[in-house]
Amino acid sequence: MPAELENTSAVTVSTASGEASASSSGNQTAPPSTTTKKKRNLPGMPDPDAEVIALSPKTLMATNRFVCEICNKGFQRDQNLQLHRRGHNLPWKLRQRSSKEVRKRVYVCPEPSCVHHDPSRALGDLTGIKKHFCRKHGEKKWKCDKCSKKYAVQSDWKAHSKTCGTREYRCDCGTLFSRRDSFITHRAFCDALAEESARAQTVANSNSEEDPKLQMVATAATSSPPPASSAPVISAGLPIQNPELPEVQENPSIILNHAPSATCLDGSSSSNSSSNGCGSSNNSSNVFASLFASSAAAGSLQPQTSSFSDLICAMARSERPTTLSAGSAAEPTSLCLSSTSLFAPVGAERRQFAPLPQPAMSATALLQKAAQMGAAGTNASLLRGLGLTMTSSSPSEQQESLQWSRRMEAEPAPLAAGLGLGLPCEGGTATGLTELMMGQSSLFGPRPTTLDLLGLGMGSGGAPTGGLSALITSIGGGLDVTAAAASFGGGGSSPGRTWEEASERKPNSPPALL
Amino acid sequence: MDTVIYNPKPSYFMYSNVNQQGNDQAVDMRNNNQPPASQASTSHSSESAGDPCGPGKWAARLLRDCAKALSEKDSSRIHHLLWMLNELASAYGDCEQKLASHFSQALFCKATEMGELCFNTLSSVAERSRSFESARKMILKFQEVSPWTTFGHVASNGAILEALDGESKLHIIDISNTFCTQWPTLLEALATRNDETPRLKLTVVTTVSMERSVMKEIRQRMEKFARLMGVPFEFHVVSELYRLAELTKEELGVQDDEAVAVNCIGALRRINVKDRDAVVHMLHTLGPKVVTVVEEEADFTSSMDDFVKCFDECLRFYALFFEMLEESFLPTSNERLMLERECSRSILSVLACDEGDGGSCSTEESERRERGRQWCDRLKEAFSPVGFSDDVVDDVRALLKRYRAGWSLVLPQGDDDSGLYLTWKEEPVVWASAWKP
Repeated sequence: MPAELENTSAVTVSTASGEASASSSGNQTAPPSTTTKKKRNLPGMPDPDAEVIALSPKTLMATNRFVCEICNKGFQRDQNLQLHRRGHNLPWKLRQRSSKEVRKRVYVCPEPSCVHHDPSRALGDLTGIKKHFCRKHGEKKWKCDKCSKKYAVQSDWKAHSKTCGTREYRCDCGTLFSRRDSFITHRAFCDALAEESARAQTVANSNSEEDPKLQMVATAATSSPPPASSAPVISAGLPIQNPELPEVQENPSIILNHAPSATCLDGSSSSNSSSNGCGSSNNSSNVFASLFASSAAAGSLQPQTSSFSDLICAMARSERPTTLSAGSAAEPTSLCLSSTSLFAPVGAERRQFAPLPQPAMSATALLQKAAQMGAAGTNASLLRGLGLTMTSSSPSEQQESLQWSRRMEAEPAPLAAGLGLGLPCEGGTATGLTELMMGQSSLFGPRPTTLDLLGLGMGSGGAPTGGLSALITSIGGGLDVTAAAASFGGGGSSPGRTWEEASERKPNSPPALL
Repeated sequence: MDTVIYNPKPSYFMYSNVNQQGNDQAVDMRNNNQPPASQASTSHSSESAGDPCGPGKWAARLLRDCAKALSEKDSSRIHHLLWMLNELASAYGDCEQKLASHFSQALFCKATEMGELCFNTLSSVAERSRSFESARKMILKFQEVSPWTTFGHVASNGAILEALDGESKLHIIDISNTFCTQWPTLLEALATRNDETPRLKLTVVTTVSMERSVMKEIRQRMEKFARLMGVPFEFHVVSELYRLAELTKEELGVQDDEAVAVNCIGALRRINVKDRDAVVHMLHTLGPKVVTVVEEEADFTSSMDDFVKCFDECLRFYALFFEMLEESFLPTSNERLMLERECSRSILSVLACDEGDGGSCSTEESERRERGRQWCDRLKEAFSPVGFSDDVVDDVRALLKRYRAGWSLVLPQGDDDSGLYLTWKEEPVVWASAWKP
């Protein structure tokens, strides 16, 4: 599996520490909290003290070995059978814990080529290893009648069967599909996937006229993890990457206040290349860090993230003059939000191929998720957290943004939950962010477009640049948006103040941006 | 009545000595053909709508009569019938009117020996108006509403995936007319394979009509999608369909450690009839693990010398196709209109362009279809058939379930027949097969 990563072009994660990449498989559920948190108890990153158990394939594949003699219902564990027997009024007995302190057990995959064969990547629970083995190395013998998709794990198949045919696949372009294969084909050929498509309507696929770039800003800002915890992480490479914005370096605390998201993401990059070290960066073990570390983007991520923080910073302190405009005037070709949602699955997909213990989402699901993320703000808190519901680019959005930011403050938990969801989802989100950053990076001047984030060849198309320029143009109307972004960043600390600042800044910025 | 209405338009039909004036005639014919046709459509479509089960298949009857008259060189009858057809036909009307329109065009060209000219004109017009955008829209829409093409994709992809299972370096040589729309699902399947994701090299042998700019668009999308799916991917284009028989392993970039699959969808019919066996042998020299062949079920070759017979077969096939389009698409669909225009050119080339004389590029696009059984005979010279596995058959069945009623799957009965047939209202229309050396 690691080989796959190496195969794809930009995956050279040379700077990523082994630890970081290893953790990526597991810690997606952990909010990007304190950087010193140990990553034990996470699947794929077991407690070193745990007892390593190697089960044979046969054992792992054995299903329902324990069968009730009354109703023939099978169980995978004796305890479950015993509990079941209780229902038949049969004698039952639960095994007692043999010792007071049970030693933690971890399980390795018997497949030698599998990453989880290595005890250091053992999985933490029996069900997990069973499902992993079945999914990854087992025969897919459960086949959906309707769409003929195959599953190795019966429960996966059941879950799929319940929804198969009932859901629709929606592409960024607004087209709906009832069939998975046509959706896949369409996705491959739709302009939403093409770098050239700079058109706004493909962007948000909400079919509204809302300005995608506006969303981009909001998205990036609002999708930040809980601010407090991530605050200490500062982009290491930031000052270096953006010499035109020296103030950033001078006063990192402002960045922190206004843009926790950026900082958090920066944390990830800093973990990849601490050589850039701007003292404050600690090897954050937050979600993003590990995600990025494991993803292809790791190496090239840094410039983007840092630039993003710059962006936020710049927005937050709008007295900053127009250094932005240089980049903004760039090529029209753009990477718009659609591509972010598009690319979201890339990371996630990659993760699927990467050795992960988690239930991997199918490629389709990821495509779909990508589309959904772009599609509607009506969905999960995660999506809303991404700011996709922000709909207007008109002056009035100020209000909305403000409200939004307040809501964000009021409900930090759902957002965090959203971010802490399943791994693939997480991957998607994170990568989406990366993409956002990528788009924005060009804002900050003629950054070379050769950065091949995620190995997507974005650089070659010159797409990243465009996103940015478009961003700027769109923002041109007023800095309110950016202000809003900043206020989001402000998080719980002092929203009111942030907002006021934003409002104040507003008049200043347009000239600068335009 | 005949004579009265006949008189105004005698000049269209010069069934001899038109070659010198061919150029003018072609333009003349097209210009004159269209306006009256559209007028006719307005008056006649209401008639036929009000009387759906009345004359029924009038187009087929008239066209057959006309074809017969043509083969008998009965010029006055040809005139008469063509005039009638011209009055009744419309490329924008109902199914019958469309059939009448496209086939009478072919008959007219045949009568005036202007087939090639007309074909070239139509082709260049089509070429000019064709863009990646429109082609993509048409193909994807067609796939969305009908399994006509997707049937072959699913069957071929299934056979390819099974034949290349476990291989780490795949090389698919794609000689087809699918604009690579077949491959995203295959890429997705490769990406979700249990074992390590293999490298995939895709070499597309383009047809003449596919322009470079179109391939460029496709390349970008394929490469991007492969990255998205995490499949290591290489994309090559070879534009040599018409000397396919002379292509070699080296030219196609086939390497020894690659597991090769050759995918021919709607490709073999584009090759000159006399070159087909040579192409099959060339494919054999590539040492493929599997060759997938998908063709539309019609026979325009064995009856090449019998115009009426060939005409009947052509009419049968396209009547089915037009009916299928009618039931699959909305009446106002532009994609459908594009597909019908393609048919129109194909009809023209089969009926009015004489392949025997050869030479010009038009003859090379004649698309002389053969039936599955005939292809079997050719392919068996170099390959042996591979049956589709139950899994693949299930996949195809599942595919068909998701389209409207009327489609089904038929496994061939005879021994000398292999592959799968897609049927539309009990008529086999597309044939898919897999072969190994």
